[in-house]
Amino acid sequence: MRPVVFIAVITSITAIACSNSGPAAGVASQPASGGELIVATRAEPQSFNPIARRDATTALVSVLTHARLVRINAATQVLEPWLADSWTRSDDGLQYTLTLKPGLVFADGTPLTADDVVFSLSIAYARESEFSDALMVDDKPLKAEARDTRTVVITFPSAFSPGLRLLDSLPILPKHRLEAAVKEGRLESAWNVATPVSDMTGLGPFILTAYAPGDRLTFTRNPRYFRKDSAGGALPYLDRIVVEIIPDQDAQMLKLQAGQSDITTSEIRMEDYAQLKRAADAGTFQIVDAGMALDADALWINLAPGAFAGDPRRDWIQREELRRAISLAVDRKVFVDTVFLGAAVPVWGPITPANRRWYSDEVPHDPHDPGRARELLASIGLTDRNGDGLLDDPRGQPARLTILTLGGGTPIERGAFVVRDELKKIGLTIDVVPLESNALIHRFLSAKGYDAVYFHMQGSDTDPAMQPEFWRSTGNAHVWSLGQHTPPTEWERAIDDLMSRQVATFDEAERTRLFVEVQKIFAEHRPMIYFAAPRVFVGASRRVTNLTPSVLRPQLLWSADTIALTH
Amino acid sequence: MARYLVRRLLLAALLVFVVASASLVLIWLTPGDYVTDSFGVHASAATAERTRAAYGLDRPLLIQYGSWLWRAVRFDFGRSLMYDRPVADLLPERAANSALLAVSALGLATLCGIPLGVLTGSRDSGVVSRLGRLLSIGFVSTPPLLGSLILVVLATRTGWVPVGGMYSAAGTAKRTADLLAHMIVPVLALALPLAAQFERLQSQSMRDTIALPFVTAAAARGVPWRRIVWRDAFRVSLKPVAAMYGIAVGSLLSGSFVVEMMTGWPGLGRLMFDALRSRDLYLAAGCAATGAIFLAIGTFFSDLALAALDPRTRE
Repeated sequence: MRPVVFIAVITSITAIACSNSGPAAGVASQPASGGELIVATRAEPQSFNPIARRDATTALVSVLTHARLVRINAATQVLEPWLADSWTRSDDGLQYTLTLKPGLVFADGTPLTADDVVFSLSIAYARESEFSDALMVDDKPLKAEARDTRTVVITFPSAFSPGLRLLDSLPILPKHRLEAAVKEGRLESAWNVATPVSDMTGLGPFILTAYAPGDRLTFTRNPRYFRKDSAGGALPYLDRIVVEIIPDQDAQMLKLQAGQSDITTSEIRMEDYAQLKRAADAGTFQIVDAGMALDADALWINLAPGAFAGDPRRDWIQREELRRAISLAVDRKVFVDTVFLGAAVPVWGPITPANRRWYSDEVPHDPHDPGRARELLASIGLTDRNGDGLLDDPRGQPARLTILTLGGGTPIERGAFVVRDELKKIGLTIDVVPLESNALIHRFLSAKGYDAVYFHMQGSDTDPAMQPEFWRSTGNAHVWSLGQHTPPTEWERAIDDLMSRQVATFDEAERTRLFVEVQKIFAEHRPMIYFAAPRVFVGASRRVTNLTPSVLRPQLLWSADTIALTH
Repeated sequence: MARYLVRRLLLAALLVFVVASASLVLIWLTPGDYVTDSFGVHASAATAERTRAAYGLDRPLLIQYGSWLWRAVRFDFGRSLMYDRPVADLLPERAANSALLAVSALGLATLCGIPLGVLTGSRDSGVVSRLGRLLSIGFVSTPPLLGSLILVVLATRTGWVPVGGMYSAAGTAKRTADLLAHMIVPVLALALPLAAQFERLQSQSMRDTIALPFVTAAAARGVPWRRIVWRDAFRVSLKPVAAMYGIAVGSLLSGSFVVEMMTGWPGLGRLMFDALRSRDLYLAAGCAATGAIFLAIGTFFSDLALAALDPRTRE
């Protein structure tokens, strides 16, 4: 890209990013009802059973056709009553008594009862998966009991401060439609993609009315949907949503620009931004700023004990000085401009400023200081011993490590190369190896056979207590040191202790205090090094209105019931 | 003839077996598996291992292969890990979509490429000949990915033809017309490079045939040039092109992979891409086997055409 154009692109993206302070646009005084929305998605659903499969399109189908007891508002991150009208919590924090809204019925006319809630929770645990794991507390399941047709009691195995946030991922499914499959041991294959659409029902705003395999899904308005808008009008506003399966993102963007689709489920890539901005300025569609990402890509070195046994680099590669030097050496401004064309902010930890509830200014940041980085590396024996500008270890071998990352020309891959180039300036030799995602995940899950990884760890919730697998030293997402049965270091033991207390207390101020301590320890020891959190942009046609964007997927369709079209 | 057919059938079966086995082995050898793809870091190691065991993915490679082979000879090609459906149920609908595309592209390439090749091969000069040669060189040089992208850009910018899927979202009573409209972009993306290859080959073959003594003799006897070209030389010049049809089917299959991804056509190529990415090994093996069947059918018809054109090849 020519320098003048490059600067113009960065300037325009930065200007847009600074001017948009929150959720976007297009709110009509009273949105008009009717119309058909065309959505482009990249992959076909693996199932219509949200318990059996968790791929992105299956999750999208679930968002459109099912409802939950409670919902985390994806824009504000606040927990809202949804199918549940209200709830109380016992004094010990272990029991929640929820009352369902009156008059709720599934799309087929069958009334929702507490038995459906109990059933849904029970089948969530019936199949071992990441879904059932996510609904555990201390590796134990929740229990549900129907007190009457509208009252459900959920019992937690231990005090859990996020409480009912855990149930945001649980769709309430119809017992009358799935019980037979469960009894016959067919839950996994129930509601697969060959199931006639008339066999399925839900409480969501839309009903799946047609599926052409590999081609499209058609959803029509659920006339029995329980929500109304602020004026008492029926929701959803839309008559139909057609989800077209278009695997190629370039083709998706072309169709959006041509007005042949209204929304895509993929974020706008930074390299496409300039061209799409021109098209948006010409008036054919709009770029919606969903806000700053809640998490960022990160670099981590394999800190598993014994990972470098027999490797001559074991004396320095797992040292904290190396990690601190890396954080000091990478110019985050250069990172932001090169990887995200200016549409990002520097970050130093897993909690980005977008997470307003849990982000803390008290957590220290490393400045950009290559000189200090070199001093730290020298303190662990890495100096330029032969005057070639590259650091050598005490044996005289180049200080070299390999970073595995995700291939495919993604921002993640670009980020890894920027890190390589920045570290080269202080004399570290980095080899970046892009891999396909399955191969990459397999490598670092094995906890051996890799030096470092640069990748994106997607969080499921803004509440850190909902990510125990990341923070706990024995957790399966504690990626820098997998497979541990006890905390391998004192600082990880300290984090384990703080997080256990943070999870168990319902005092919000105390939770904040404890988690600030966790973040400070994390920042001090830097098991993962963060550089920038991007802004997230999605495209939508000009006729789409009443959007409430979120950085979490699906960015626009999470509130599909209130999306409207201008006529 | 019966012996010939039996021999071809056995060879086709061997081809399908080798291709399916090779794809299974290659996926097994690739790092990661379906459980890694679907769970990532979001499940405990214990859950992942138990799920692997439930799918039989923890068994030794030879045991898994033997189990698959034992089922395959009874036409049970296993269950897709992604879709939890029998592979044999998933393949036909997609294979039919890909076959529709491939047959249409082959037909269009034949109708365009061969006559144009006769024209450019029988005349050295003339605007049409020169233009035809130029276009062919251009299309032969354009890989399917680029060709698809150009056509998709053209279609979306002009709105002349729809892009994406097989039918319109809105639905229409004129389904055949709707389907034909949706076929234009993917069929052109596949047919144009193939037509160009046919043109180049036919042109060269026609040039070589025209140089043969029998053509000179016919011209000397006063037979009109047009009749010599289309009645006498054309049939002889078709041999190399007929031989190429088998390879053309192979290139259509590999090209359709890319074209289906770019144009959103719900065919076998896309299914295989998703299966490979997710390490859905039985589905990937099934897709590869189906592709091999297409290839075997294509080469069979190619041999039949060759035999019809030149009786000496029947021996």
